[in-house]
Amino acid sequence: MLEIRNLTVTIDDVEVLADIDLTLPEGELHVLLGPNGSGKSSLLATILGLPPYRIVAGEILFDGAPIQTLPLEARARLGIGLAYQRPPSLEGVTVSSFAAAIGAWDRLEREAAALDLTAFLDRDMNVGFSGGEIKRWEVLKLVLQDPRLLLFDEPESGVDLEHVIAVGEAIAHAVRSPDRKGRACSGLVITHTGLILNHVKADRAHIMKDGRILHSGDPQALFAHIQTDGYSVPA
Amino acid sequence: MTTTTQDMAKLSNEERDILHDVGFDDPSARAATSVLADREMRMALSNDPGVEILPLSEALRTYDFVQDLMFGLVSPDENEHIAMVAEHMHDPLGHFVWVKPGAKVRLPVQCFTLLETPQGRQFTHDVTLIDEGAEVEMISGAAVPGSVHKGRHISIGESYMRKGASCSSVSIEHWGAAMDVYSYGYAHLEEGARSRSTAIMMAPLTHHLSRSHTILDADTNAVSQAIVFAPEGTERIIETETRLAGEGARSEDVARMVSVGGRIVNSAMLVGDAAGTNGFLGCDGLKLSDTGEIMAVPSLRARAEGAMLSHEASVGMIDSEKLDYLMATGLDEDTARNLIVTGFLRLDHGAIPAGVRTRVVEMIEQAKSGGM
Ligand SMILES: Nc1ncnc2c1ncn2[C@@H]1O[C@H](COP(=O)(O)OP(=O)(O)O)[C@@H](O)[C@H]1O
Ligand SMILES: [Mg+2]
Repeated sequence: MLEIRNLTVTIDDVEVLADIDLTLPEGELHVLLGPNGSGKSSLLATILGLPPYRIVAGEILFDGAPIQTLPLEARARLGIGLAYQRPPSLEGVTVSSFAAAIGAWDRLEREAAALDLTAFLDRDMNVGFSGGEIKRWEVLKLVLQDPRLLLFDEPESGVDLEHVIAVGEAIAHAVRSPDRKGRACSGLVITHTGLILNHVKADRAHIMKDGRILHSGDPQALFAHIQTDGYSVPA
Repeated sequence: MTTTTQDMAKLSNEERDILHDVGFDDPSARAATSVLADREMRMALSNDPGVEILPLSEALRTYDFVQDLMFGLVSPDENEHIAMVAEHMHDPLGHFVWVKPGAKVRLPVQCFTLLETPQGRQFTHDVTLIDEGAEVEMISGAAVPGSVHKGRHISIGESYMRKGASCSSVSIEHWGAAMDVYSYGYAHLEEGARSRSTAIMMAPLTHHLSRSHTILDADTNAVSQAIVFAPEGTERIIETETRLAGEGARSEDVARMVSVGGRIVNSAMLVGDAAGTNGFLGCDGLKLSDTGEIMAVPSLRARAEGAMLSHEASVGMIDSEKLDYLMATGLDEDTARNLIVTGFLRLDHGAIPAGVRTRVVEMIEQAKSGGM
């Protein structure tokens, strides 16, 4: 579904991603592991086409076609969606009015219940949300948007234990079940804590460091390695 | 008194259509209705024993006390416009609304002004008395037919809210594109009174000065919001003064302004004259084009110990991060902008009639595409 080849990306001429190769087949869920500042968020933002990232080399293929020159909303319409790490707050724009604008109003109440967000329908998006509420809302936003390639940026950080299972299950369900047109989905999840691995069965993990993918392999094994030896290439 | 078909025949279909856009509903669905057209009070009727609604000239003859209410909150020589209104008419033009003591009025009271003659000059004076413990909802609107774009309207409004009275109100104006409008509003809230008001100033006109002055006695609570829009060629000057005069008075005064090439100046003054008062001023501006101007001038004046006054002001363009956030869900840029602008203006606020909301969105659309 997603294929990234030799991708190098800069911000203000400073390299933030270097020579990235990554293949995410249809139906798979991968996790990205890596220290702060290693470029994980930059990679997701570049896939979606958010500023200020500039691609200086390489390409991004979605369903076999290059997308790196497409504008943001065109990529979103092809079926790419991102649950933000730190979304902006939109004063006056309620969760309901947003759901109506993306044509998901009829599903809002049911999907919100699964993430314990029923009380949030009349709230302004991200305004006064706690850290954990933001994460739950971002997952709900993606579920409503119904993309085929689901990108999650640290979806579990700041989420209390009571809700982390619901968030994990919602992510697993969203990636593992087909979209509303019946097509298979894929997911790429940034995880800092690895907590999410207890709730979603990931197919593969990638370790990022200094803007590069150091190593890829079995998620549980790599996570265990990181916990003992840090973000390095296993022997 | 109940509404009859005779009453309805006093308005043409076109008049009713124009008025609908500014909040009018069938008089049978309202507690009371007044409609002033050009220089004539076309309709003044009440279906509710708790509400009296009369042309002001008639009210002056009917009730002794009305002469003390008229020019009770503002002097007839306050400024040249007010002096002109005061001297212009032997028979004042406008309505007198009286909500009787203790009345809990179930349906809204609606009052409208129409200017139907091109190059018309209209000077009005309205007096509203919401008596002790009364509760009411008011809708007021002003409009012109499509054929009128030039003219002048000057209005004075005086509102008295007696002890413990409560009022929520919405006002919507839709004047002609080349008109000059001057509105002067004065209000006095006695002990324990509560008011909640929304003013919608959206349709284009050449120049609008809106000045209001509110005095809040002890333990009153006044929440007001203004929704202001200025397309190219429109200038709106808004001046408000809120005086927290009695202990425990609270106010919240928020203006949300959008310019697409027009000029908006909002000067808001909050005065804390008594202890234990609490007041907030908010002025937020959103500029949707490179031309035009928004100026927000909030001022605070604390004159008593224990007056807590604060303000927040912001003026800017649409934040590109917010736009991207919405577009990242597949929304096109126009839809994303509209969502941000209507959100900014809080148009889904319950106080705003749905029909008005739709019109406001259309107006912004039109202004952005230069069709205004
Ligand atoms: N908008 C930006 N402007 C400048 N530098 C940025 C910006 N966003 C990210 N960076 C830099 O890019 C690098 C990678 O950041 P990021 O992708 O957020 O890392 P991670 O998500 O792995 O913590 C960091 O050095 C960060 O400071
Ligand atoms: Mg990050």
